[in-house]
Formats: sequence, structure tokens, C-alpha cells
Amino acid sequence: MKLVTLLAQVDTDKCKGCRTCERVCPVLAIKVVDRKAVVDPERCRGCANCEQRCPDYAVTMIKRDEPLQVGVDVHEVNYDEVVALCAKAKLHPEQRICYCVGTRADEVAAAIIKGARTPEEVSLVTGARTGCTIECIQPILRLLEAAGCELKPPEGGWQWYGRTATAWDLPEAVKQKYSSRGFYFEEDRAVLDKLVEEGIKGGDA
Amino acid sequence: MRAPIKPIPPKPSQYGIDPSLVKTRIADLPGMTSVSLKELFPDLPEVIFPGENGLAKVRQAAEEALMKVDMSMIKPEHSVNVLASHHGFTLLGGEPYAELLKAIKDVIEKRTGCRDIRLRAGVGMRFRETEEYIKRYGLDTYYDGKAIGIAPVDQGIPIETEIGTLYGIKKVYDADWIVHAHHSDVREVHFHRQVDKAVKPFGMSYARIETRSTYHQNLGPRGANFVARAIFDSEFVQKKFAFAAFLNIAPNGVVGVDVDNDLYALNDRVTFTGCQYYGKIMTLFGEIDECIAALDFPCPVPYVFSAGVIYANFTGANTDLYDLDAPLPPYTWYTEAFYGKRGKPLLKDIPPVNPAIKMCVHNYAWTGYPSAFFAEQIPTVVVGQEQAELFNRDPLNLNYMDYATVIKSTEAAMNFAYRATGTRKVIIFDGAMGGINVSEPLAELLTRKAPAVSERVDNELLPKWLRQRGVDMSVLKRGA
Ligand code: SF4
Ligand code: SF4
Repeated sequence: MKLVTLLAQVDTDKCKGCRTCERVCPVLAIKVVDRKAVVDPERCRGCANCEQRCPDYAVTMIKRDEPLQVGVDVHEVNYDEVVALCAKAKLHPEQRICYCVGTRADEVAAAIIKGARTPEEVSLVTGARTGCTIECIQPILRLLEAAGCELKPPEGGWQWYGRTATAWDLPEAVKQKYSSRGFYFEEDRAVLDKLVEEGIKGGDA
Repeated sequence: MRAPIKPIPPKPSQYGIDPSLVKTRIADLPGMTSVSLKELFPDLPEVIFPGENGLAKVRQAAEEALMKVDMSMIKPEHSVNVLASHHGFTLLGGEPYAELLKAIKDVIEKRTGCRDIRLRAGVGMRFRETEEYIKRYGLDTYYDGKAIGIAPVDQGIPIETEIGTLYGIKKVYDADWIVHAHHSDVREVHFHRQVDKAVKPFGMSYARIETRSTYHQNLGPRGANFVARAIFDSEFVQKKFAFAAFLNIAPNGVVGVDVDNDLYALNDRVTFTGCQYYGKIMTLFGEIDECIAALDFPCPVPYVFSAGVIYANFTGANTDLYDLDAPLPPYTWYTEAFYGKRGKPLLKDIPPVNPAIKMCVHNYAWTGYPSAFFAEQIPTVVVGQEQAELFNRDPLNLNYMDYATVIKSTEAAMNFAYRATGTRKVIIFDGAMGGINVSEPLAELLTRKAPAVSERVDNELLPKWLRQRGVDMSVLKRGA
């Protein structure tokens, strides 16, 4: 759930059409048309990536006249399905996966159950990954993969490249080689397993 | 009682309020004093900065150390990327780190004849932060226009590692050689747990979002920093790595400059000093029974400093952050993630946020890091409507002000905090160099408790911390 209060605005005099903004927008809301960047106000989720990366300082973030509420109501889908999808992705349904927006795993799972098929679609409907746009890409990819979605990054974009290792798929040799150097791989995995278990059981600890 | 130490001044930045709006510093209020770190812990090292001709001494130490390292792999026709990170610029006013970066360029040029030397400065979550530092410290002109800020959403490059493909920022690696220019300051102990701290930027400020998300979401609180080692050990990075140059930092200042072709040898030295020097301050902070934490430094909320310790670590000072037997600190992103919808932890053994912090007075701190958790857990007052508005406009902090209240002036905020909490103990996170700015009752407590803490760390905690990290003592002796 996110109340989108900001909107990207392009100064076309400054824009040189370099497409950097297009490549970093997590919801594909800004596109270069006829050598100038154009923002789709209905899609923009106000993350400021375009404003922060434009090499020509052509984007400013302005306050929306009417804030836009986005979010997926987890009660609109079968919650057992949500729990099962989260467990498959090794997540607790209530765990926060987006620290900036506060989105929890169950909302992302519900978005996927309702039809989101890519991280861009997930971000568009939930608002997750429209704060820092850094930390929550992996759990989103894990949930999409668990739902059987094919993970294909936006063509030519820098939004994301791929899913990476988790505590559950570290090679045995790596674990053995480094556990004496302060990496508590097995112990951490046990903590995460416990969390997943609690998620299946439901409720607070 | 000693006079308070002059705090680090506010800095103009798109991530903070205009410095002219910071009308009062907490350290200037009645009843504030300072404690010298060297008096608290006499075994802290002698420092070259702050001090007379401090910057010149940093320069000299850098040049001397850089003259000793092997640079023979760099040929005149090669290109070199000097890799820096934002945090170095927040240490002790930022000049010592900038001076190190300048010395690196000059000595490489002098010793190798190489002219194509670029500065690539990585960030945390404020994508233009190092752009601002590059301008402020004149690094763009110093590096002949070849200094840029890089961000984790910039074009990436896949790196094959022992744990599969991870992703770095392409511009970090677009030279024949890379030089890792960093420092030994501990900063986020809650994240890296002082495991491979010297390697961390390879998994963080030099890395893409996929890698950083792996760190904070996929591996767990004590395995997280392995992404840094995995990337650094990859064939791709090893082929480009020339050497590492570190500002050697203690809570009381710059001790010297440590340069090595062997990053892991340097890492062991960093682990040792990080545990010993900072471990004492953090353990002492854990002895504070009640206080008001005042934030007053040009940095995002969790990164404001007191005695080299950041506020995020103070929120976990009720536990031993160095003890790897404890999986989750009171604050880290895994911990934050594990608070459920009703505001309760989803796992039984999650320790609470430091209950000694009765209130937080946010006099001056920046946006650019998701900080709502702190305001949610600790009663927080923010000084000035302009600062509150800035947080309301920050995509990373849209909820911060849902949990904090606004008070017009610093004086009124502190008076409110005194009345509401009933404590007169105040710790100020304002980057004071060489000491800690505190209120008189807290100065008394810290001074009284320090000797026993020092003894406990030396005899009991430090040996355990080093054992847990498998630190090779012979490497320490070689580097000493
Ligand atoms: S990044 Fe800036 S200059 Fe480039 S297309 Fe977008 S708005 Fe235009
Ligand atoms: S969602 Fe972010 S990157 Fe995309 S147009 Fe809006 S502010 Fe720019």
C-alpha cells in the first residue's frame, strides 16, 4: 500500500533524450518519445530514480495535486494461497520486504495471484520497490519465481538483471570453507527456516 | 566539566534542510559538556587527525604508505579506477578521506607514469550524494574531470562467483586496474557484524541492486556480507585488483594510512581494531541506563555519529552486536523485516530496540535512508516544520512523520524531552571529534563505568569476538 504523493516532471529544454531515466524506472513510467522523456502520470510511483540519475538534471519531483493510492488488498484473494506462495518463496507472509514503502510479502503474493507477472507489474500495483528501489528486488523475484513466472528483465533496461543465491542454495563447499571466518550460514538458515515455519502456522510469535 | 566540542557544521545538500535553518546545536544548550575519549580509554591510539597540521600529516602518512605497496602491475598506458564510497566523506568532516583520494592519484601517477586515473565514488541510497562530495572537496578538478558518482541502479555487469552470478556496477570495473580506497571505521556493525568489513563495498557501494538485495534479504543476518567476499574473490575482480588503501580510523580520529596488496591481511587488522577500539565504546554505551538521544549531524538518521558510533548501533547497544552467537540485533534490516502487522516480532528471540533511549530529539539529520522503524520504536520529536516536510517528500521516508511529532525549536524540543522522560542524561550524535558531547549526568556515568568496561572487553569479550571471526593473529603482528 502506498500513497503516491510525488510525480516526476521533465524539463524538455534540458532533456537530451539519453534514455537513462527509461532504464532505471521500476514501473516503466517514463519513456523517450521523439528524443524527449515523457512521464505517464498514471504509472509514475514517485520513486525519484529518474530525477536522481538524469545526467542533465532535467527531472524534478513535484507534489501531486491529488495523491494516488495504490495497493493490493490481501483479503481479495484466498489467503491460504498467499501463505503457500510465501512459504514456497521461503518468506513469512507478514515479513516486510520493502523497507521504504513498508510492503509485506503477503501483498506482493496477492498481487501475483491477481495477475502481476513481472517485478514492474508488482511495483505498479503495490508500490513496493518505489522507495530506494534497491533492497527488495530479490524477494519480489523469489515470489514471482515461486509462482512459476518466467524472469525476464526489461529489454535494454537496467531495472534488474536476475535472481541470485539464497541461504538455501549455497554450495556445501562454500559453507565449509568459510564458516570459521565468522559466516554463520547454517545458523542463519535455521533462523530463516524458523520464520518460514511461523508463517505457515500464522500469527505472531 | 569540559566545554562541549564544536560539532560538525550542517552541510548544504539536497538530502538535508538548508543549513541556515539549523538555528541551534544541541551541544550549545545549557548543561552540556564533553568527555575526552582518550580519558575514557587511555589505551586508544594516538591520532594524527584531528590535531595540529592534521591534514598535512594524513597526506604524509598516505604518501609514505603508498610508496611501499607494489604498483608494478600498473603500466603507463593502463587505466586505473580509484574506488571510493560515500561514508568516508562523513568521517571527521570528510577532508581526511578526500586527502587520501588525492594522494592515491598523485602517487600512482608518480610511481607508474599512468595518467588515466579516474575516481568512481559509490553511494548508499542517496544516488547523488558522492556527486555532492566530489564537488565539495574539489575532486572533479583534482581528477582532471574524471570523477563521477555511481549508483546501484546504473548499468550493471554480471560477475561469476562461488555462489553463482552476482552483479557489480559496470563503471566500477571499466578500467585495467582498480584501487579500493576505504577506511577502517566500523559504521554499520548491525549489518556486517565486523565480518569482512574491509571487503564490504564490493557487495555494497560498488554493487548493483541485485547484490545488495541478496545481502539484505537472501542470506541471513550473519551470512550477508559473504556477497562481498564472493565478488572480491571472483576471477573477474581478482584480475583487476591492484591494492587497497585505507584510512586507519579509531573512535578518536585518524591513526594513519594502511595500504596493502593483500586485502585479507588488511581486513584482519581492520577486524582487530574494529573490535577492540569500537567494541569498548559500544560496550560502554550499553551501560547507559536511560537517556535522550539527540541527532545533530549532516547524515541520514541512522548514520549520525557519536564517538565513532552511529545512531543505528546505539539503538542496539542493549545487546552485544559483535557477538555472533546472537543472530538478530535489535536493529538490522532482517530484524525490521521480522516485525509483523501488529507491530510485534514474528520470532520470539528478537531483542527490543535499546530501551535506554527514552526519546530521540531529531534536531538535524538527513533523509535518504528508510528511517520509519526508528521513529516507530522510539518516541521521536523532529525540530522544525521544514525538516518534517523534507521527510514527507522523501520516497524512502514517506511514513517517518507518521510516528514522529514536530516541535518548533531545539530548545522547546529538549525541554519537552526532559519533561516527558524525566531523565537529564543526553547523548549527542553530532560528530564531535576526539570526544563525546553529553549532558553532565551522562558524562559522570560514562567516566565512572569506562575502566570496568575496558577490562571486560580486553579480557573477556575481545578474545571471544576474534575467535568467532577466525582472525589470524600472525597477520596482525606482520602489519603492526
Ligand atoms: S535521463 Fe534526463 S536527459 Fe536522459 S532522457 Fe531522461 S530526462 Fe532526458
Ligand atoms: S516511477 Fe520513479 S523513475 Fe519512474 S517516472 Fe516516476 S519517479 Fe521517475
